Amino acid sequence: MAGVDLGGGGKSHKKGAKKHKTKRRISVRIDMTPMVDVIMLLLTFFMLTTVFSSPQTMEINIPPENETKVEVAETKLLTLRVIADGTIYYNKGVEMPKLLPSQDLQNFLVESVKNEPGLICLLRVHRDGKYEMMVNIMDEINLAGITRFSLAPFTDADERVIQKAKRSA
Amino acid sequence: MVRKKGRINVFIDMTPMVDVIMLLLTFFMMTTQFRIPETADVTLPTSNSEFKLPESDVMTVFVTKEGLLFLKTDDRTRMLLTNRSTDPVEQESFRKLEEGLEMQDQNQLADLTIRARVLNPKLRTVVKGDRDTPYGKFEDVMSTLQRVKITRFALVTEMERG
Repeated sequence: MAGVDLGGGGKSHKKGAKKHKTKRRISVRIDMTPMVDVIMLLLTFFMLTTVFSSPQTMEINIPPENETKVEVAETKLLTLRVIADGTIYYNKGVEMPKLLPSQDLQNFLVESVKNEPGLICLLRVHRDGKYEMMVNIMDEINLAGITRFSLAPFTDADERVIQKAKRSA
Repeated sequence: MVRKKGRINVFIDMTPMVDVIMLLLTFFMMTTQFRIPETADVTLPTSNSEFKLPESDVMTVFVTKEGLLFLKTDDRTRMLLTNRSTDPVEQESFRKLEEGLEMQDQNQLADLTIRARVLNPKLRTVVKGDRDTPYGKFEDVMSTLQRVKITRFALVTEMERG
């Protein structure tokens, strides 16, 4: 194994000392094996435990409290409602909400923004819905390139609209 | 120096290997930051967002599965806040931010975030929510932040895999 040869090689030594060296040649050899073993163990430990993680963040801008009302065109407004069990309903403008299977969400958003470039997305999540749902939908909205979107509370009115949609479906 | 004849010394010089290993070890030891047991056990949701979490001037609001709120800052920010503060009561509560201070209600959260931001205007707010947190709890935090005029904040997520 690894070792350090001290006094073995004479090249670096002074010429005068050469003769003296040959007489009593003490080979000071430090056995580095245990050290290398330990280093290897440490290295393995660090390599296995290290996770190169830097959490990602999602920026949110919320309007100040004294919000100004913004008029938007009906056709440009897409409302996504998430009810308590995580089911997504969508509607454009004031039409009846329709069920949106979560696996279709991405394609749906991409298609919608293609058809209506200035699309504004309004996300209403029920209070008992999961936080993860909101993050996922927001992520999809970002991926689809919808730049204008806002969060709104899920009100009783929304609840009634969803109930009505459920009954008619 | 010529060695004695007949003596075949099979001696592999491992020095370069050891050197490299040492370098690697040093790298890993320097870069590893042992994760301190988190204040609150939070399983982050995943996203494809590419913004990285800033390292300093950050104030983190934890929202756990059960809806408990904790406020925490990094060490530097906490020191800075404690040093700048003149009010002993305020200092005391800032000192507690190291471990993550449990918020009793939204008002306490509002109060502390205002105080912290007065002392350090550069402070950024991030929200670390558990993926199973009921959305309502998060909505409450959001409206509190809106009330204290933090209109820009970030949600911490994990990189989506696959």
